[in-house]
Amino acid sequence: MNCHLSVWLFRNPSLSAYPQRHIYLHCQPFRQIKLDMGLRVLKQSRNHILHQLLNKNWSRRCHQDTRTLWKHRALQKYMEDLRKEYKALDQCLQKITVNEGERGSLNRRHAELAPLTAIYQEIQEAEQAIEELKSMCKSVNTQEEKQFQELALEERQIIGQKLNTLYNELFQSLVPKEKYDKSDVILEVTSGRTTGGDICQQFTREIFDMYQNYSCYKHWKFELLNYTPADYGGLHHAAARISGDSVYRHLKYEGGIHRVQRIPEVGLSSRMQRIHTGTMSVIVLPQPDEVDVKVDPRDLRIDTFRAKGAGGQHVNTTDSAVRLVHVPTGLVVECQQERSQLKNKEIALRMLRARLYQQIIEKDKCQQQSARKLQVGTRAQSERIRTYNFTQDRVTDHRIAYEVRDIKEFLCGEKGLDQLIQRLLHFADEEALVELLDGNLKSTK
Amino acid sequence: MKLWGQMLWGHLSGLRGRQGGIWGWACSTWQSHQPQAGPLSASGLVKHWTAVFEKRGIPEARESSEYIVAHVLGAKTFQSLRPVLWTQPLTAQQLQGIQELCNLRLQRMPVQYILGEWDFQGLTLKMAPPVFIPRPETEELIEWILEEVAQRPQAVGAQGSPLILEVGCGSGAIALSLLSQLPESQVIAVDKKEAAISLTRENAQRLRLQGRIQTILLDVTIEDSWTHLLPWGPMDLIVSNPPYVFHKDMEQLAPEIRSYEDSVALDGGEKGMDIISHILTLAPQLLKASGSIFLEVDPRHPELVSSWLQSRPDLCLGLVAVRKDFCGRHVAGPKDHGGGKLLTSWQPGNGESKEGSGDNSYLPEAPSEHITFN
Repeated sequence: MNCHLSVWLFRNPSLSAYPQRHIYLHCQPFRQIKLDMGLRVLKQSRNHILHQLLNKNWSRRCHQDTRTLWKHRALQKYMEDLRKEYKALDQCLQKITVNEGERGSLNRRHAELAPLTAIYQEIQEAEQAIEELKSMCKSVNTQEEKQFQELALEERQIIGQKLNTLYNELFQSLVPKEKYDKSDVILEVTSGRTTGGDICQQFTREIFDMYQNYSCYKHWKFELLNYTPADYGGLHHAAARISGDSVYRHLKYEGGIHRVQRIPEVGLSSRMQRIHTGTMSVIVLPQPDEVDVKVDPRDLRIDTFRAKGAGGQHVNTTDSAVRLVHVPTGLVVECQQERSQLKNKEIALRMLRARLYQQIIEKDKCQQQSARKLQVGTRAQSERIRTYNFTQDRVTDHRIAYEVRDIKEFLCGEKGLDQLIQRLLHFADEEALVELLDGNLKSTK
Repeated sequence: MKLWGQMLWGHLSGLRGRQGGIWGWACSTWQSHQPQAGPLSASGLVKHWTAVFEKRGIPEARESSEYIVAHVLGAKTFQSLRPVLWTQPLTAQQLQGIQELCNLRLQRMPVQYILGEWDFQGLTLKMAPPVFIPRPETEELIEWILEEVAQRPQAVGAQGSPLILEVGCGSGAIALSLLSQLPESQVIAVDKKEAAISLTRENAQRLRLQGRIQTILLDVTIEDSWTHLLPWGPMDLIVSNPPYVFHKDMEQLAPEIRSYEDSVALDGGEKGMDIISHILTLAPQLLKASGSIFLEVDPRHPELVSSWLQSRPDLCLGLVAVRKDFCGRHVAGPKDHGGGKLLTSWQPGNGESKEGSGDNSYLPEAPSEHITFN
């Protein structure tokens, strides 16, 4: 009789030293096992193969290199520190002597740490359970116990997967959130100097279209602020405001120099069939709230047609273009998107704010000396981040040494681009986490 | 042959484009070779008509052709057209439409009348000759009024508050933008021409503001005509962009204005003060004790107004302040005068002509340059 049994070990923390002592048998269909988070762990007979398997799962989970092992240690230490802090806060908050002001900030920190410590606790318990299973597996002898091996195998797999999820959760919670991640964005593209034919300008248009399609793919709103075409259908420079969910987080690593390599199809150069290289630059600016950037009207010089002479009832005009010059910084912004001059002024002011905001952020970031591969801001602006090779039909992102095939699909700005961006984000998160743990490790040594 | 080939390609991409939004766009990137903007594309037509206008001395040649072409293609500005539309060839119908409208432009009709609409403070208003076309400077007058109203909490909030009288409503630009930005306000819009009154009514209905505006055919220069306004009670604000052009300057106005806009909306008499002085005369009878008057005037007017007021002490009005618009020309603002009604005047355009040089800007002054007169 193949009786499917599930064995539940009800864990009593105080008895954790002697896991074999208490085993309760329930008759339940195999598939209905529910792992109650952190408390109930399935234990079965020991199995050498299981042991191996779990080990394999473990290392696969943690990308197999020494850096990760080290990270694991650093992670352990960091989590220990957090847990200690949490306990200390716990005790602290229970005292009545803490005054109101401090209590507020302590409460907040306590609330911040609560989920992290909870996850960490679960991870520790799950890991312990696996250890116990491993050790139990070692002492499998009789035929009866061997029956349980298969069940145990599957159960340990389940714990393993649970552990994976918990690690991901922990990872996500630990990665420091960037201040501006949720902001909307102003995306600017500028063509590079043309070296052969007009490939830079063609390319600029293709890239701008790609981001427009991407915005559509992600259900963001794409608002054109400026569009200056070049001759022969290319694009000289353009700007758009993209608003939606966490736009900056996704697009921040798109800033930098994008390089194109292709054989031009128009012009004299096309006859030689030689590969030309061109560049274009993408700038991604997070959009500030009104309060973040104060612009003093006295610092602005506003150029419109009207400065040229008479106005009001004496003149009928339809020229509503506006150019704003921020005198202290020398930033210039133009807009002629709307018929109403006032609206153009508002749009130009918004763009100016974004640029100034960028400068403010730069000042913030300059203080931190970061050795990361993925940079944002003016540091990244002059870096060549990606090459689009049309003759070889591939796109290479140099920062993570990642290649994508099928340029045409990529330039459609849908799945291809999204996958690359997800990779970049993951890479960035890892870098950020490593930096965080590194700092923590070093600071307390 | 080449042209035909281009047109064929253009037509094909047009088909794809019609399949919907972004896909049409994305498809254009499939071509690594972009055809040049042909003469029958939007860009080509703009180029063509700009050249024609320039040759015939039509001012703002490029802007005019851009607005006309954009309008026929369904956009407000050329810049805001979907870029892919710039290079697609146009249909025969569109070409004809553009031809007709550009012919009107060749006859110096203002673009706003050609398109039949224009934007003001974010609202799109119908325009029809000969009703006066709102000027961009007046947008700033609105901004200023809104600032002042915001600083007086008792005026805002209660229903029907503030109660505003506009003299010379024209297309309804001032009245309707105030209504739309002051949700509790009520406006009595007055004009001496039937065309203006009905255009204001039509615009109010388009913007669904007709419930809060009362339009009255009234000539404020006729003696005691203002008594018709008494039943509505004392007003919080009187606003106006009255005809303020000096009579001798009328001939120098561009043909667009002279031939198409109602001269009655522009001519202010010998010193441009005719209607202004009437408004100032009726104001004390209709304004609340704490009320204000906002006027757009010629740069020469603050002095004229103040000396005129001195000759009329019975009105108990004081010129409170003059404010420059954001191009650095004279604008006027109110300040608490204490003991009298407040008068504010705002004036764009200085009548002097400056060379269009590279540095054609003014340093803006601080918003409220306060000048008080007794």
